[in-house]
Amino acid sequence: MQMDFHYYATYCAAYIAGYSHEESLDIAYSAQFVDHCSRTVLAGVKGPSEAATTQLQLEMMDARTDPVGLQDITRIWASFHFLPRDLYAEKKDCSRRYLQKYRLICGPNSDLVAKTVKLAMDKPLQSVGIAMHVLADTWAHSYFAGTPSLVINNTNYVFYELFPEDDGYTEKQITFRHKTSTPDDLENSIYTNSLYQRSENTIMNLGHGRAGHLPDYSFARYRYVPAWGGYEDIVKDNPSDYMKAFTQMIYAMKYIRGSEASFETGVYDNAAIEPYLDRIKEILEKRQLIACDDWKAFGEELSGQSIPDYSIDTYFTEYTESSKKDKDDTFLGKFFRGAIAHKGMVIEEIYRSKNMLAGYSRKSLKKRFMK
Amino acid sequence: MTLFQRIRKILLGITMILAAILFMMVSDDDKYDVVIAVLALGLAVQGIKDIVFYFTMAKHMVGGKIILYQGVIVLDFALFTGSLANVPKVYILLYLVGIHAFSGVVETLRAMEARRTVEGPWKMKLVHGIVNFALALMCIIYIRHTNTAITIYCLGLIYSGVIHIISAFRRTAFILID
Repeated sequence: MQMDFHYYATYCAAYIAGYSHEESLDIAYSAQFVDHCSRTVLAGVKGPSEAATTQLQLEMMDARTDPVGLQDITRIWASFHFLPRDLYAEKKDCSRRYLQKYRLICGPNSDLVAKTVKLAMDKPLQSVGIAMHVLADTWAHSYFAGTPSLVINNTNYVFYELFPEDDGYTEKQITFRHKTSTPDDLENSIYTNSLYQRSENTIMNLGHGRAGHLPDYSFARYRYVPAWGGYEDIVKDNPSDYMKAFTQMIYAMKYIRGSEASFETGVYDNAAIEPYLDRIKEILEKRQLIACDDWKAFGEELSGQSIPDYSIDTYFTEYTESSKKDKDDTFLGKFFRGAIAHKGMVIEEIYRSKNMLAGYSRKSLKKRFMK
Repeated sequence: MTLFQRIRKILLGITMILAAILFMMVSDDDKYDVVIAVLALGLAVQGIKDIVFYFTMAKHMVGGKIILYQGVIVLDFALFTGSLANVPKVYILLYLVGIHAFSGVVETLRAMEARRTVEGPWKMKLVHGIVNFALALMCIIYIRHTNTAITIYCLGLIYSGVIHIISAFRRTAFILID
């Protein structure tokens, strides 16, 4: 997902869930900052490097792909962008090494999503934003894993874009190219993707790189054959998935605010968006590279307030100029604590499933040595 | 491409160029045995690696069988290469040229396949494949003049080495996941 959903749509969802304009902005900023909080940014503000929620292209290029390096990559990407759907999934006749990667395939409505939302309860708004980013990405990034893997994340030439027509769809084969400098050509279904690399652990095989930005476009509907799926097609209907992400975010934030008694997976607050349904559908289905303007206009109509453009360094000065003991109480300080807590929870859960791909959390390490 | 992959590509390119220069300069007949031994060992390691990877990981991957086929073929080549100890030198040269031609054909086919599904870096691949194949063809034409054939073969090796080094400096598309 891009800034249009993580910042502007999250603002809209927060406002509909009952947060004030200012609170919604804090949640939206935090949700978007998950895509920017890299070690490079953390070094710039002298923040804790373990709070990294993403990796920059340059950091990835230098990332090691030995077991320790892979654990570092997996901790970040599986925790914040590709939350695993089922850490105890089974597949017949496969090696343990394969199974560990297979279990990291991302998907919505998992136990981990519920734990993510519950972890944000009674926490600062920054933690709510982080949880909303993670929840939303489970819909967009379904079927890909947050660890480099050819055998899980690869795709092949069977990749068709679907266009609704009458009761069904017409199909158009997608052409992929490897030029990040050229924007995707929506008119002719030409998209940029990562190069095919035969090495299992190359970063080219991380997440949905082989499918390009298709999972990030709310309008996209496509059919393809995932590497792990036993030659079965998957039809990905992003407008429908993004709608579920939006209504699930509203439900989750109502729970965090205390206006819902419990958080159950598979529940969506469709009633809350009833008055805006056509408007939201229109934004989601519009073929455009980024829908920031449309979501922003919708958000401003909702709250009657102006939504400032996202600026990465909004809270940098407050953090850098705070004394050491006050840092934790700044906006970024709360974000870093929230990020570390969430990452620790996910690593711990992956470790408890006897999967070493994300390594140990501090908690499990302590447990190990206390035995 | 990670930094490590780039360094590996550059080192491979330099090794190929040095091997070619050595092959041209050294007149000793033993050089054939050394080349054969190194080639056989390298192919055997690659072949076994591919086969193990298939049975542990790629068995469940769409299109994974191609990794098994590649492994078996490469291992087969390794065993065959190792058995070429006591044959006339001209056959060894013929065999090396055959491998060069084969890699040229594979590279060309891969470029054609890339052209069908992606836009972009297929042109360099195609040229590399065609040049490899053409040089191998010229080696066969001049096979009776062993020294000329060796020179042509070495030029092919140097060309491949240079291509490896160039490709290590190319920008590779990396999708930044949002």
